Amino acid sequence: MRIILILLLMVISCVTNAVEPISFNQQIRPILADRCFACHGPDSAQRVSDMRLDQQETIFKELPSGEFPVIKGKPDESELIHRIVSDDEELIMPPIDSGKSLSEQEIDLIKQWISEGADWNKHWAYEAPQHAPLPRPIKKWQQNNPIDLFVQDRLKELRLRPENSADKETLIRRLTLDLTGLPPTVEEIDNFLDDDSPEAYEQVVDRLLKSPRYGEHFARSWLDAARYADTHGLHLDNERSIWPYRDWVIQAFNNNMPFDKFTIEQLAGDLLPTPSLNNRVATGFNRCNVTTSEGGSIDEEYYVRYAVDRVETTATVWMGLTAGCAVCHDHKFDPLSQKEFYQLFSYFFSLTERAMDGNALLPPPVVKIPSESQIANQNRIASEIKQQAELVQKILADAKYTDSFSGSDYPAFEKTDRIWFDDTLPAGAKPEGNPGPWAFVEGPDHPIYSGKNSSTRTGTGLIQHFFHGATDPFIIAENDILFAYVYLDPDNPPETVQLQFNDGTWEHRAYWGADKGHGAGRNNASNKPLGPLPELGKWVRLEVPATTVGLKPGAKLNGWAFTQFGGTVHWDQAGAMGALQLSAEQKKSYAIWEYFLKTISTAALPDPIKKLVAIETDQRNETQSKQLMTYYLENVNPKTMELLAPPKQKQVELKKELEAIEKAIPSTLVMEDRKEPRVAHILERGEYTEKRDAVESAVPDWLGEPPVDAPQNRMGLAQWLVSPTHPLTARVTVNRYWQHYFGTGLVKTSEDFGVQGERPSHPELLDWLALSFIESGWDVKQFQKLIVMSSTYQQSSRVTPQKHALDPENRMVSHGPRFRLDAEVIRDQVLAISGLMIPTIGGKSVKPYQPAGLWKPVGFGGSNTSVFKQDTGEKLYRRSMYTFWKRTVPPPTMSIFDAPNRETCQVRRTRTNTPLQALVLMNDVQFVEAARRFAELVVTHGGDQIDQRIGYLYRSVLARNPKPNELQLVTQLYNEHLAEFQEQPEAVKSLLSTGESDHSNSLDQTELAAWTMIVHLIFNLSETVTKG
Amino acid sequence: MNEANEFLKHVVTRRQLLRAGAAGVGSLALQSILAPDALAKKIQSSGLHFAPKAKRIIFLFMNGAPSQQDLFDYKPEVDKHHGAELFKTYDEKTEKWSTDGFVKKTQRLTGMTSGQKGFPVARSKFKFKQHGQSRAWISELLPHTAKIADELCFVKSMHTEAINHDPGVTFFQTGHQQPGRPSMGSWMSYGLGTENDNLPTFCVLISNGTGRPGSQPVYTKLWSNGFLPGVHQGVQFRGGRTPVLYLNSQTGETVDARKRMISRIEALNQLQIDTFGDPEIATRIAQYEMAFRMQMSVPEATDISQEPQHVLDAYGPQCQMPGKFAANCLLARRLAERGVRFIQLYHRGWDQHGGLITALPKQCNDVDQAQAALVNDLKQRGMLDDTLVIWGGEFGRTAYSQGALGDAANGRDHHPRCFTYWMAGGGIKAGFTYGETDDVGYNIAANGVHVHDFQATVMHLMGIDHERLTFKYQGRRFRLTDVHGKIVKPILA
Repeated sequence: MRIILILLLMVISCVTNAVEPISFNQQIRPILADRCFACHGPDSAQRVSDMRLDQQETIFKELPSGEFPVIKGKPDESELIHRIVSDDEELIMPPIDSGKSLSEQEIDLIKQWISEGADWNKHWAYEAPQHAPLPRPIKKWQQNNPIDLFVQDRLKELRLRPENSADKETLIRRLTLDLTGLPPTVEEIDNFLDDDSPEAYEQVVDRLLKSPRYGEHFARSWLDAARYADTHGLHLDNERSIWPYRDWVIQAFNNNMPFDKFTIEQLAGDLLPTPSLNNRVATGFNRCNVTTSEGGSIDEEYYVRYAVDRVETTATVWMGLTAGCAVCHDHKFDPLSQKEFYQLFSYFFSLTERAMDGNALLPPPVVKIPSESQIANQNRIASEIKQQAELVQKILADAKYTDSFSGSDYPAFEKTDRIWFDDTLPAGAKPEGNPGPWAFVEGPDHPIYSGKNSSTRTGTGLIQHFFHGATDPFIIAENDILFAYVYLDPDNPPETVQLQFNDGTWEHRAYWGADKGHGAGRNNASNKPLGPLPELGKWVRLEVPATTVGLKPGAKLNGWAFTQFGGTVHWDQAGAMGALQLSAEQKKSYAIWEYFLKTISTAALPDPIKKLVAIETDQRNETQSKQLMTYYLENVNPKTMELLAPPKQKQVELKKELEAIEKAIPSTLVMEDRKEPRVAHILERGEYTEKRDAVESAVPDWLGEPPVDAPQNRMGLAQWLVSPTHPLTARVTVNRYWQHYFGTGLVKTSEDFGVQGERPSHPELLDWLALSFIESGWDVKQFQKLIVMSSTYQQSSRVTPQKHALDPENRMVSHGPRFRLDAEVIRDQVLAISGLMIPTIGGKSVKPYQPAGLWKPVGFGGSNTSVFKQDTGEKLYRRSMYTFWKRTVPPPTMSIFDAPNRETCQVRRTRTNTPLQALVLMNDVQFVEAARRFAELVVTHGGDQIDQRIGYLYRSVLARNPKPNELQLVTQLYNEHLAEFQEQPEAVKSLLSTGESDHSNSLDQTELAAWTMIVHLIFNLSETVTKG
Repeated sequence: MNEANEFLKHVVTRRQLLRAGAAGVGSLALQSILAPDALAKKIQSSGLHFAPKAKRIIFLFMNGAPSQQDLFDYKPEVDKHHGAELFKTYDEKTEKWSTDGFVKKTQRLTGMTSGQKGFPVARSKFKFKQHGQSRAWISELLPHTAKIADELCFVKSMHTEAINHDPGVTFFQTGHQQPGRPSMGSWMSYGLGTENDNLPTFCVLISNGTGRPGSQPVYTKLWSNGFLPGVHQGVQFRGGRTPVLYLNSQTGETVDARKRMISRIEALNQLQIDTFGDPEIATRIAQYEMAFRMQMSVPEATDISQEPQHVLDAYGPQCQMPGKFAANCLLARRLAERGVRFIQLYHRGWDQHGGLITALPKQCNDVDQAQAALVNDLKQRGMLDDTLVIWGGEFGRTAYSQGALGDAANGRDHHPRCFTYWMAGGGIKAGFTYGETDDVGYNIAANGVHVHDFQATVMHLMGIDHERLTFKYQGRRFRLTDVHGKIVKPILA
């Protein structure tokens, strides 16, 4: 039978061979592109001769030799033919050492093309899509919409027949998996089966398109393209917060945001006239790229890399253009020049981001995204805090204070310095310096504060000397104020001096002058600013209360650092002063308090108050005196403090509450341009150091002019992409949707619509779909409906050997789609069936089960994702798109089923079939746990009889009833398991305790175990992981 | 396979479809089922492009970049110049370089030392001696390795493009500094297929260094298949009771029970083939069988209880501690024996910016005995002839000191301009040294070997022409060596 068919087809082929003209775009350009363009194509640097074969203007033009590459109708006179058929090893093209050659068949095709007049068209994808006339319907075949007309027209031509519609059970499973990524419930199946109306199918479609699960499912593939992940990806691979962008994508799909708007918001939402918070969140698309903060990296290099990645991603996603080829040289196959690449690059080269992301959770620019209730709570608490503050003010204003102190007999206060080191370092101290060692110097050439020496350092940048490891620690006491004496060289002053204290860590610092010490930018106990540089050219005592740098009483210091930024600095005598405290009685007197401050220390006071104290009492003006008095009453005087305690306490509580809310508000990475744009240059060979001509932002105009009013920024780029005349955006987008349903796009290389990509299997259909999409106002849901309503989509996926032999990839769609489900769907499916799935949408990513010890052996010790801490409870059972995605070690159950690593943009997943996949399905705890949980449902909801239960099981997982031979086999297996488990109560227990969720003790445990085995078996079937 | 013609095969114009009808029945169908292996079976003995010298590779990757100055690239001259400023200075006015100093400072330094005030030449703190008939200079830190000097081929003139770890390791393993390309092992698997029926083709083993614990991350991207089919992904073998992820049953089922489960899955799947005629179902059946064989063979491969005492002694006490470098070396030999084609080890912790004097001996102690034992063991089993052993890191370290000389805490910074690799076995000249660095060990003086040259040479030894093993993806033919790479013929046996 097969042989007859083939012979028949061969006969037809011979007949048609003679009459069917050659298609340049389909048959000739691909050959020239693959074999010739590398040297005779667009890349000006690589072009080795004047013969250029990628352009109509040059292919018919006289060569310097007087020959013509191609003379229409005359293959024998065309130089191109002479060279490809030459016997001369020196002349033959492609050259022997290129490793490329032309088959006789290909040479014949080229000859035939020239004989037929060498018809030349622009590469199909760079011409605007055209409406072809709709093919005529074929009688007796089912046509639901024009998709079917185009597909069936090809089938008829190829003497293939479409398959009949799949049965309703198959259809609802296919449809539900395709539109929501989850299987239908038994109830949904029953409703559909019971509904005989002609609208039954369409109603299911409408229901599914309204399901919030739809947005999640479609967002997931988009996130592959956006290279979304939860870590920054390079070196440390720390956590990064951009999940609000992920949630934006889900909402955009669920709200059916038109694709043009979807495009504009993601590429340029920040450049809208009045961008909303949501508009800005959308721009996270181009902040999803991998970034680094690896020590020693060079900023300029990474600015370039980030911009290159953004161009490559944007070009792949919207245009199916492999722009990356033009980073180093003009594109070898497509007309994209290197200059045009850097013009696109320029759009993305001027962000306010830093090259080094600081390994931060939120490397700027970022936005905070409070929810409505968070905003309301913030406002409420802020106003309550204000009320309490007003109450405090009122109490202070009403306070009637008179100082009962006579003013003559002040108590005797004395400083008691506890010196830790002066001329020698404490026992065990290991002195170090960078650069160079700790250096003591003596007078008289050097200033000395006490004893016979001081330590000193001169240099540039951040330098220091320090010791650590003192064996007899310096113990911090109550109210201690740490001090050290410093002398700044007036001829070479530093920009910063800093003290650092080590009690096991160095995270206790204070600085004077510019914020250029260690921990710059922090303004907390790990680097506290304490005012301007001390006076130059004299010894000054630096003081810092121990609590200010986070050292509590009892803390044990083993190390001390003298740090400076540039300059020459001397240091001497250091330790702590146990500041005396005023007694409660003394505190009642303002005068005693002030005297105490003046004689002992003002270090513990806030800066402005310090300044007030420094003014002689009689020199203060009225406001100053009042300020100081108010401070006293509020913070020192026991009586007023008692009155103030309740509102103050209330304030503290409220502030805590406010902080908690602030902390809970998520933030996300967004795009933002610098005020002064960074100038982009063409980079020779793509090397960041090899700058050539400067370029400005511009689009490659051979793909169409930008709209008239389009600004010269990312907004203009986005508007250009979605202008109705753009030849690529709509085609590339609808092609990805086609791929979603049929496994392969009409253009198989959905990432490459260029000359080296594949031709579309149905060019007219692709154009019709693209134009329909644009004409619908880029209506995404309507487009999904269009596809699933077609009879092409609804065909049975049964494959005859003949069809499989002729068209193994089903490019002609002569039967329904049939392929393995995506990684996420495989896991989500069993979560849904077992009832474990938690339907919450969005939020921070979660960490479900993964094998122990995956992150630790590979991760950097200092990374905040080096230890995997599995979540518990509901977070174990969220949909897989919410699984925390650590780029350097992606969740293994996902990568094993071909999920991309999210390091770069990917618009097409491979679909492999490997033994590791079998191991996951058989051994991953998630699948066993889901089997156990679903077994409970089988027993409680599946009826009393074994065959009823098997029926329920089959319908829940596969949406169909078991066939008699399946029923027989599974029944037999069930009985075997049951018998075995009756002998092995321990095995029952072990099986039923797999995973963290509860299990029902009220059911017959042995039965449950046997059903668990059966469910697990069904979870492992090829059909279960396949959309059929 | 010739992807160049991919569109001709799959974009079905009427005539093409009909033509395919004649030649293509069966062959096209078969492709979707067994493509990689079917291709591989045919070529394994004859090589993909020519006869291979090596059938398998054990790559001991020293993650973090070991200091060649302190291990192999001995510079007697440096003793004399110890402490002298390395760099010449450039006078803008006279437009001349100073006469003191050794090297013009024209290239980039990492952000870690670019602000350093001086760059003193630093001699090694360790003693060197010549070893074997080849008179190879080897540091006192590697006494066992010194004993196999005559088996080794040193390349002292390796150089790379990256200056930091992440891009550096990624470049070595995938031929590109940015993530996303297939790893060397994946390319080998893609080009050569498998040599066994029950273990992966490409295995990865990781150990932590004691010189700088927790330092130098590795990433799954280093053994990723990139855009090649997933079957070419490296499979990580780990210490402990689950050497391969998901290998063990959750509930401790017996072998028989597992066998029965698989036969039942097959029985039910078979009923589906009858209905749908989908060859993917047959593939899935085959993969379950393979999974079962792995469940049997991986524990066998990783079980060293039958290794004789003298072998265990040779590798040293740590070979019985799963996850240690020595244990991984022994495991590597066992995997090699069982037909695994590419065995990639990573030993972490070689990044001695500071504290080199204490950390480097620890790192060397981690690896020295076991790596020498591995080479000897392969030789005794007659496997060294067709097994290529490779040793080295992602770049080298500077001739100048990071931090002041005389400071115990000093070390050396990253240095991409020259570093040392050694190889042994499979088609490589034994007892040979190739390439030279200058007197201070800062620049290459002769016969530079770029990472792409190294990759081209390794592929050549495996019977692959690096320019012809390509994969078309996103409109471009990719290869491991990008558009570069020259085979280093002088080091071939």
